[in-house]
Amino acid sequence: MMPKAKFMIGNEAIAAAAIHAGVSVAAGYPGTPSTEIIENIKRLGQDVYVEWSINEKIAFETAYGAAISGGSGLVAVKHVGLNVASDPLFSSSYTGINGSLVIVSADDSSMWSSQNEQDNRFYGLHALIPVLEPYDVQSAYDLTMKAFEISRRFHHPVIVRTTTRIGHVRSRVVYSDDHEPQRGRVVKDPSTYVLAPENARNDRKKQLERWHSISDYLASLCSYDPGEGDAIIITGGISYSYVRETLDETGIHANVLRLDATVPVPEKTILKYVNGMKRVLVVEENDPVIEMQVADILLKNGIMVEFHGKDLIPMEGEMTFEKLKGGLYTFYGMKYEGSILQDEPLTPRPPALCPGCPHRSSFYDIKKGLSRVSMQNSFFSGDIGCYTLGALPPFREQDAATNMGSSLGISNGVFRSTDAVPVAVIGDSTFFHSGMEGVANAVYNRTAELIVVLDNRSTAMTGQQPSPSTAIDIGNVCRAMGVEYVETFDPFDAESGEKSIQNAAEYVKNTGKPAVVIAKRACALEVLDKIDSETPKAYVDQDKCTGCTICYNFFTCPSILPLSNKKATIDDSCIGCGACVEVCPFNAISVKGEKPVGWDEAWNA
Amino acid sequence: MERINILLTGVGGQGIITMGKMIGNAAVNAGVKVLVAETHGLSQRGGSVQVHIRIGDVIAPLIEKGRADFIVGLEASEVLRNLSYANKSTVFILNRQTIKPVVPSVNAPDIDAVVEKLQAFSYYIVDGEEMAKDAGNPKGSNAVIIGFMLGMGFFGKIPREAFEKAMITDLNRKCLNAGYSQALTAKNNGGSRPAITR
Ligand code: SF4
Ligand code: SF4
Repeated sequence: MMPKAKFMIGNEAIAAAAIHAGVSVAAGYPGTPSTEIIENIKRLGQDVYVEWSINEKIAFETAYGAAISGGSGLVAVKHVGLNVASDPLFSSSYTGINGSLVIVSADDSSMWSSQNEQDNRFYGLHALIPVLEPYDVQSAYDLTMKAFEISRRFHHPVIVRTTTRIGHVRSRVVYSDDHEPQRGRVVKDPSTYVLAPENARNDRKKQLERWHSISDYLASLCSYDPGEGDAIIITGGISYSYVRETLDETGIHANVLRLDATVPVPEKTILKYVNGMKRVLVVEENDPVIEMQVADILLKNGIMVEFHGKDLIPMEGEMTFEKLKGGLYTFYGMKYEGSILQDEPLTPRPPALCPGCPHRSSFYDIKKGLSRVSMQNSFFSGDIGCYTLGALPPFREQDAATNMGSSLGISNGVFRSTDAVPVAVIGDSTFFHSGMEGVANAVYNRTAELIVVLDNRSTAMTGQQPSPSTAIDIGNVCRAMGVEYVETFDPFDAESGEKSIQNAAEYVKNTGKPAVVIAKRACALEVLDKIDSETPKAYVDQDKCTGCTICYNFFTCPSILPLSNKKATIDDSCIGCGACVEVCPFNAISVKGEKPVGWDEAWNA
Repeated sequence: MERINILLTGVGGQGIITMGKMIGNAAVNAGVKVLVAETHGLSQRGGSVQVHIRIGDVIAPLIEKGRADFIVGLEASEVLRNLSYANKSTVFILNRQTIKPVVPSVNAPDIDAVVEKLQAFSYYIVDGEEMAKDAGNPKGSNAVIIGFMLGMGFFGKIPREAFEKAMITDLNRKCLNAGYSQALTAKNNGGSRPAITR
């Protein structure tokens, strides 16, 4: 082993550990805060097969397939992505594997970029899969290595659970880059891997046996910092780092037990360290997963202690010093004086679509097109992607967006209960992730809805990963599934965009069948990535501009700013896409400058 | 080593994550422990972004509210959105730039309005935009501000060479040096609350 050190984020540390541990097949679907794991394996793991799968279920099954063949597989997804893969997740625990299978669940406590902050350690309890929880960036490396080792040793999947402040924290990490990818060979063992009832019942017995031996083994995966007194703090994950620093700083000499495996909490360990203690405080981020298990162990063994957890440490949001100290000080009969100052923002600042984003033009075209047929107040069934930002003013074209692919199912229900034709808005990557089924359902069950696919040729929000739309034509997919009305338009061509929307909406109203309209133009950031030279710039002719406010209040490209006389001006952030030119009713905007080499090709990729 | 808590605030796309990386790399170059907590994903699309930098004897990644030693506004008004991280000895470093939020009928905040709210604190205003342009790197205001903070001695014992090494390009190094000399001028002019203008 040749140890090296590098300043890296937790997700890179996990990638480095996976490669070092011999991963040979790695798959995932982009999602914050997990994305950089697969990206880094792609970048660093020369002999590793790495793919962005179409969704998390396929990614899971891909890694699992490698693992049942004796290879080392890794699947990395965000917390809600594991919901999509939950079906094979449970099965993998029944069958076990021949090689190793490590599942990285990157949970987004505080919902920095997610619809919820579900605590995926519950999947471990539910599916009987051990969960290792790093407490800092170095331990993300070490515990990922450990996860591969445990998985191979017990022929059982292992979950590595991170939260945002593990994966997206940068720190110095000592690592090794020695590796030998462990590949598989075809194994035929249908009595294990075909989960027909008879086999499943057999597997169930073996699963429980493995579970018990793993539980015993995990007893060693913890660390105890002895302190003074009869109180013990039991913690795990990122919370440990806050506990340790606070105790060091305040001089409270508590006994601290850190669990590196938080599912299952090993009974032996708890009995060993809680023995003789009178007071217990469990500190963990999000849900009371350690707390419930410890309480259960204490109860079963008739151990009576003063017991605290979520009564003192908030469940909501990520761990912070404020949350920890609030609870910890109360536990020690002290009072935490928090910050006295309040935030005093001058303006709201929600995220916004980028300058030149084709989604902005699409939302603009959709609204105008729909108003031509008095459908501007339709229910907009939205979905997950940059375009979820279409929920914000001035567009307000997302009335629900709850999970990947939700646009099509929800719009069906809205239509059934109201008879009002809804508009489903979904992106290209999301379409392939879990939208196609919804289109099939709309055809099969005859849902009168207008389906707009915003095809920007990439999985944009997570950093422009390539999308299947660059290889598979969405229009052909819809036609093959029986959609009779399929049309494509260029969102930058406002007039034809409005017309396409209008025609499709009329078709839906007249026939009661679904129609698909595809707005096709590449993500602006993807375009900029491909262009080296300077881009053109748009200018406002101050003589022609009347100060009508349309371009900055109704189109809202961030590059267009109001002057004090209400006229518009355009700043340096403009990328010269030209989308605003048609938006101005007074022809005051024009684009100047040469088109760089490859410009049109990049936009129309 | 004593702990230094630096909160970087700004708007997605301004180069705030790069700024965190540069400071982090400098600390690593100097053999000093550092943790940098970044925000990725949706908020990077033109929304408010914070990066927490903790230097020295630290274990946990996020700064405690009320405990930031320095709050940097790459977009000046963003420091006010994070005022709860300040205490009365917190020093603010503002880039002379405000950005209009992408919200209809909401204008860019006025930097004077920001300064007005900071009257009880020490603050510095740096002409990051202009100085970066002069140095030939219009996107280099993050490096200018790092240089300024370095010149003011805000990074403790992390030496200038560690920062120079952390700049990936020569243009960034130029920006760093421009900020550095600006700080020296400011220091010489003295004053308890110098607002730097050119
Ligand atoms: S990343 Fe691409 S899709 Fe997302 S807002 Fe920016 S331009 Fe639009
Ligand atoms: S050309 Fe117009 S729409 Fe495109 S980025 Fe510039 S100002 Fe925005």
